[in-house]
Amino acid sequence: MSNQKKKNFKIEAFKHRAELEPNYAEKTWKILEHAIQEIYNHNASGLSFEELYRNAYNMVLHKYGEKLYSELVTTMRSHLHQLSRYIEGIQGGFFLEVLNREWEDYKKALQMIRDILMYMDRTFVPSSKKPPVNELGLNLWRDYIAQSLIIQVRLEHTLLELVEKERTGEVINRGLMRNVVQMLKELGPSVYQEDFERPLIAQSAYFYRVESQKSIECCDCGDYLKKAERRLSEETERVSHYLAEATGKMLQNVVEREMIANHMQRLVQRENSGLVMMLEDDKYDDLSRMYRLFSRVPEGLSTIRDVMTGHIRETGKQLVTDPEKSKDPVEFVQRLLKEKDKYDKIISSAFNNDKTFQNALNSSFEHFINLNPRSSEFISLFVDDKLRKGLKEVSEEDVEAVLDKVMILFRYLQEKDVFEKYYKQHLAKRLLSGKSVSDEAERSLIVKLKTECGYQFTSKLEGMFTDMRTSQDTMRGFHTSQPPVMMDRQPGLAVLVLTTGSWPMQAIMACNLPSEIHWVCERFKAYYLGTHSGRKLSWQTSMGSADLKAVFGKGQKHELIVSTYQMCVLMLFNMSDQLSYKDIEQATAIPAADLKRCLQSLACVKGKNVLCKEPMSKDILAGDRFCVNESFSSKFFKVKIGTVVAQKESEPEKQETRQRVEEDRKPQIEAAIVRIMKSRRVLDHNNIVAEVTKQLQSRFLPNPVVIKKRIESLIEREFLERDKVDRKMYRYLA
Amino acid sequence: MKKEETVKLISAEGFEFVVDKKAAMVSQTIRNMLTSPGGFAETQHGEVRFPEISTPILEKICQYFYWSLQFASGKETEFHIEPELTLELMMAANYLHT
Repeated sequence: MSNQKKKNFKIEAFKHRAELEPNYAEKTWKILEHAIQEIYNHNASGLSFEELYRNAYNMVLHKYGEKLYSELVTTMRSHLHQLSRYIEGIQGGFFLEVLNREWEDYKKALQMIRDILMYMDRTFVPSSKKPPVNELGLNLWRDYIAQSLIIQVRLEHTLLELVEKERTGEVINRGLMRNVVQMLKELGPSVYQEDFERPLIAQSAYFYRVESQKSIECCDCGDYLKKAERRLSEETERVSHYLAEATGKMLQNVVEREMIANHMQRLVQRENSGLVMMLEDDKYDDLSRMYRLFSRVPEGLSTIRDVMTGHIRETGKQLVTDPEKSKDPVEFVQRLLKEKDKYDKIISSAFNNDKTFQNALNSSFEHFINLNPRSSEFISLFVDDKLRKGLKEVSEEDVEAVLDKVMILFRYLQEKDVFEKYYKQHLAKRLLSGKSVSDEAERSLIVKLKTECGYQFTSKLEGMFTDMRTSQDTMRGFHTSQPPVMMDRQPGLAVLVLTTGSWPMQAIMACNLPSEIHWVCERFKAYYLGTHSGRKLSWQTSMGSADLKAVFGKGQKHELIVSTYQMCVLMLFNMSDQLSYKDIEQATAIPAADLKRCLQSLACVKGKNVLCKEPMSKDILAGDRFCVNESFSSKFFKVKIGTVVAQKESEPEKQETRQRVEEDRKPQIEAAIVRIMKSRRVLDHNNIVAEVTKQLQSRFLPNPVVIKKRIESLIEREFLERDKVDRKMYRYLA
Repeated sequence: MKKEETVKLISAEGFEFVVDKKAAMVSQTIRNMLTSPGGFAETQHGEVRFPEISTPILEKICQYFYWSLQFASGKETEFHIEPELTLELMMAANYLHT
């Protein structure tokens, strides 16, 4: 056991064969230092890369990495120190050029140094946690050059000066600018931001504040906006040439804030060139520019919208409340449509079809249309005018287009039931006088109303059309039932049987018809009641019309187209030559107002005066006398005696219609209350009002006072009762 | 072969190996030598002296360069290394950063 030796294996570190001289490191470094100096002096072409690399390699390998690194730092420091002195000493405008050139050289040299010291970068640097050569070089450059007190201030100043020069229109060396800015970026984001970006933003804000102040004093709104837009695009261009992307955002914000946001109100409200003027003059370019620019800043679009709304309301209000302008209903509506078209076009071509703008437009129209209580009537009159004569030469598409436009206005109306009332009246007149131009157009409008307001709204209107159709059948039936002999001898008769309720008729006293007519009418009555039992016929003599054949003193033959009342009056002159007003009134029993109007149209209208009046004057008085105008002549065979057409209602008539509308609303409001209470059982007053308003909104806007009255009436009739404890609560009784 | 596309590698004993630049650049060190800005002597003359690398090793290294290119392009073959060369070869590899 004695000679048992423990064999210890030891792996010896590999020994490099090169024997180290005592001052090996010193010597080697001298070689490298010399090379680095040569590189700095642009004298590298003679150097052998391999040799330098090998020296650095061996130094690191022999654990002189630390020395190599610290010596390198010292060398670079001293080089940069000299360099900074040199750059600081540069005078005049070449500062940037020199700085840029030195930077380029420095970068190149740095790369070469890094390449020959690559082995150090690869092994020594990571293990000793030092910055690698490239980073070291940049850091040193930053500390010695870019952020050395004098150069830093001068650099910042020079760069900002150049930007300002460019802003004021001078041409600058953008490439140089880009390179220097690029240098700052390479030195790290914080250098770029602190030394350049932040001062740039501050300077830009100041620049644009001053400029916007100046321009807003001297330019009108349109020019100012053009300027702002140009500035924005300039900044974008600047960024693309020599700034960082992020800086671009900030610059845009600065311009937006200084040039737009801070002056928004002033721009928009500017007199003679502000938004209002642009709207009035249809300046689409300016408007769309304003829209684009303002959409970039918060509150921008709402500012435009508010002013636009205000303006539309103001002009709209003038349109609808000016008594001069509301004289002609057709023109009134035409004007509204024009206004609507105008703003539709502005919104579509300048405001990017912005939904919020469309809504604003709609609500403005709704606001001012309802300012005039007669809007409903006028819109109906407009339709009447279009369907009566306006569309004769117009194609079907155009009809549709006009009707569609009318429907848009109709939608704005709050009191749709008033419209319905008037529409019914006008439609009735159109149908009864046979003046409706196109059945198609009539129907198309009814369909539109139906889709807008539901079946209930149009059921009566449709009933009127049905009556017209059945009446035709009835008349055919009547004529075939009459013996042909009689047909020749008696006056022709066309009767329209109208369902009470569907038609806007008031029960009026029938006037006394001439006996011939009366006789035929009786025959029809007998026929009709014979075929339809349990019905009642009454004559609406105020609505009809008649064709009369007349022979005047010198044998002129004419056919006179007159109303039923006028016919009654004229037929009297078959019996006597001269009649007093009293005589006529007694014989016909026509209501005084109608009679006066009808006599006026017979005696006082030039060219159609088939009667002579004694004494001659415009107005009909109770003492007047009438005789046939024997010398009547006209170049037409058929002479149409003007009947008073559907026109704007007179003041009392308007009141009356209004009252009727109110009357009609009562049951609707009551029905709504009962419907609501039936489902809710108990509800307080305010909620009922709210719900009723909501339910009836599509037809009209009920007045809370009226609702209260209806509730009281329902309590009286014991549909509802007040809660015993809480007097504000109502309870449904069933 | 055009001169620009080749490089001359010279061993300690003075043997010259002319190889494609592309192949030589498999070595990171040689790549830096040939691409570093400023015009070192090697870039200008298109030749590199390796006073610490013997001829057989440099030959092997050149073989390796071409093998490596082939390997990278998908041709996976064995690269044979004689055991007695291993140590020196590894030192050279470290030096050349291959």
